[in-house]
Amino acid sequence: MSDALLMEMTGIGKSFGGVPVLTDVDFGVERGKVVALLGANGAGKSTLMKILSGNYARDAGAICIDGQAVEIKSPADAIALGIRMLPQELSIFPDLTVAENIMLGALPTNGGPVRTLDWRRMEDEAGALLRRLGLDWLSPKTRMGTLSHHVQRIVEIARAMTGNARVLIMDEPTAALAEAEVQLLFSIIRRLVAEGIAVVYISHYLREVFAISDQVVVLRDGRNAGTFVTADTKVEDVLEAIVGNRVGDIYPPHAASDAPRGEMVKAKGLAVPGWLRGVDFSVRHGEITGVHGLVGSGVEMVGRALFGAVPKTTVEAIEIGGRPYRLRPPGAAVAAGMGLVAAERKREGIIPMLSLRENMSVAKLPLFTRGWTVDRRREQETVGSWIQRLTVRARGPEQAIGTLSGGNQQKVCLARWLLGELRILILEEPTRGVDVGARQEIYRQIRGLAEQGLGIIIISSDAEEVAGLADRTIVLAGGRITETFERPTDAAHLMSAASKSAAA
Amino acid sequence: MTDIPTAAGTPPANTRRARDLLAKPWAGTVMLLVFYLIIIVIFTVLSPFFLSFPNLISIGTNASFIGLMAAAGTPLIIAGGLDLSVAAIAGLAGVIVSLGFAAGLNIWVGCALALIVGSGVGGINGALTNGLRLNPFIVTLGTMSIISGLSLVLTGGLTNPLMEDSFNWLGSGRIVGIPFPLILMIVTFAVIWWVLAFTPFGRYVYASGGNPDASRMLGIPVDRTQIALYVASGFAGALAGIIVGAMLGAAAPNAVGGYLLTVIAAIILGGTSLFGGRGSVWGTLLAVLILGTLNNGLTLLNVSSFWQDVTKGAVLLLAVGLDQLRVRVQN
Repeated sequence: MSDALLMEMTGIGKSFGGVPVLTDVDFGVERGKVVALLGANGAGKSTLMKILSGNYARDAGAICIDGQAVEIKSPADAIALGIRMLPQELSIFPDLTVAENIMLGALPTNGGPVRTLDWRRMEDEAGALLRRLGLDWLSPKTRMGTLSHHVQRIVEIARAMTGNARVLIMDEPTAALAEAEVQLLFSIIRRLVAEGIAVVYISHYLREVFAISDQVVVLRDGRNAGTFVTADTKVEDVLEAIVGNRVGDIYPPHAASDAPRGEMVKAKGLAVPGWLRGVDFSVRHGEITGVHGLVGSGVEMVGRALFGAVPKTTVEAIEIGGRPYRLRPPGAAVAAGMGLVAAERKREGIIPMLSLRENMSVAKLPLFTRGWTVDRRREQETVGSWIQRLTVRARGPEQAIGTLSGGNQQKVCLARWLLGELRILILEEPTRGVDVGARQEIYRQIRGLAEQGLGIIIISSDAEEVAGLADRTIVLAGGRITETFERPTDAAHLMSAASKSAAA
Repeated sequence: MTDIPTAAGTPPANTRRARDLLAKPWAGTVMLLVFYLIIIVIFTVLSPFFLSFPNLISIGTNASFIGLMAAAGTPLIIAGGLDLSVAAIAGLAGVIVSLGFAAGLNIWVGCALALIVGSGVGGINGALTNGLRLNPFIVTLGTMSIISGLSLVLTGGLTNPLMEDSFNWLGSGRIVGIPFPLILMIVTFAVIWWVLAFTPFGRYVYASGGNPDASRMLGIPVDRTQIALYVASGFAGALAGIIVGAMLGAAAPNAVGGYLLTVIAAIILGGTSLFGGRGSVWGTLLAVLILGTLNNGLTLLNVSSFWQDVTKGAVLLLAVGLDQLRVRVQN
């Protein structure tokens, strides 16, 4: 690296509850350059950026700006140093004007005893920022809510440019943007870079990364896994750095490929407005079928559409166990032998104030019901035996599930469906926020279930996980299947299949 | 990840034991019971008339119609709903019985009609909140206003007599010396407790309020559970209205409406979370008795009813504040 580094992080370490998330990570960016920060889910990208933007405190290492060591203890510290982060999700105020949205952090006021807003200055300054980004046509008086999604994004960039912004962190800025909009965004990034601003660009879309960045930094398992000058680098090298060669370590062996297997699910033309545009797939007995795609590719809807949890889902034809099936709401889908472990455990998985026991049994209460009442003794026996089989670590079955670790919560969410008869198990992002030990246990259980003849669907944006687990995989982009792998494949193939046609 | 060790390391054993105790699900109810005993001791010391069997019985009897509404309201709030129209339904029920009676309708047919109307209004509340996904606060505020308005329209704002011996027995009759309204309230609490504690439906109540999105993803009938609870709340409102009519021997269109806030206050004071997922009917029963006891004791001490309202509000804030403190210590 050169000595012109505007921002430099060295030897950064961070752990949560004794589990290291970042170990000895170096990262830096030069004035007027774009550095792409890449890595699989859980590699530590967002933790590193949260340290830089003052949301987390680091355990070890140093941060320098212009060669001067600095302390960043809060987001306000970071902003004062000119470090601005654009969040993944839009955070705008639709009922305020563009000018108000841009200037909210530093509203100009008139002097005098009662400080009132100085509308003229606010609109002048906002207008100047918009011109700086090349948006001469956008009036600061426009109401934010009337603008399209990508223009709102750009107004957010203008907001980040208030004050003395010098380092701009963009986390997946192009998610849900169309190709032309991506080009507009890129032209704005190039303008900022020409002014000498340093940009950190986080994205899963390798094509975009290669189009916009000067340098690529890859993290893997919380460590540096490679630094590349973009112009001299091939995509394959970067992919290899992202994936590494540790696939297979924590995954159980794949199913034997020669055994003939019947089809458990056969779906044709599964469609969800705005998400899926006619997807055909099948799931066989005894196999794990992977569904992979980047966030926003429609991958997040496949399982829940089949489960009947998405309104307006349509399907041309669907068979389960060889018989025609009509999509039905979750309650009836459960009765038909389906189970779904939702991606966002907090929002759609656990019922936090209820006990581990109640969480585990609640979807299958008819199993324990005798006459009018729940047979508490049988419930406790069954729950107790699953706690042991899945090695759920808790003080006991009566502990509130909200107080367990992510991995143990996920084991309960999985066990839920195993209490009774189950034919099809749909797992969305099965190990998000789950530590490695629990991950291995969950993988082992999933493979065991497949061996019992269940149809299993793993839906994951983590290519490595899909590669390690799935016997067959479909890859989605833009709501369609882009590639089908009939055999186990590796993460690099999955990633390139998911990212190369993403904007098509 | 959640277990971040504190700078002081692990807390000493006795602190931890106290914390474990506070974390028990019944800890809030026990605190409330202690609170109640303190109130009883204070009133016993201050008034020689307070601690007698007839007085204690009359506290329970006078609170019984509030108890009926609060008993049905508790599972509804646990499940994530809210019924502000329950007291207005009680008023309408009295009006229906009394008008029917005046028109020569058999009084028991009138009662049945009132219960059906009450349940029906509950069904409308349930359909609007769950079918159209409208906010329960606004929906039941609306039906409350409609129902109490209708009661006034039907009666012209006048009080109608309801004197019929067998009917009035509902208000003043006794079984082995205990007034019927008190028995009805206790039985209602017991039934709702049994449903919540032992039936699958009871589990769905807690799950629906604890995390409706997760519950739906698990195939739990969240909407049906809530609608059933709105119907139950409407039914209980009508039942409360009938009991009040029987006790007073008359039905006034606005006889019960003013007690809505007491009903809600009792549910919250009893430890039920307004955000759903947490609560118990025994806590509600205790809270109903505490509020009734405060009324009774302060009246015995010749405190004006204006000051009684002030006291009740202060007790509510104190109890809810203490409970919040408990939850914080526990974490």
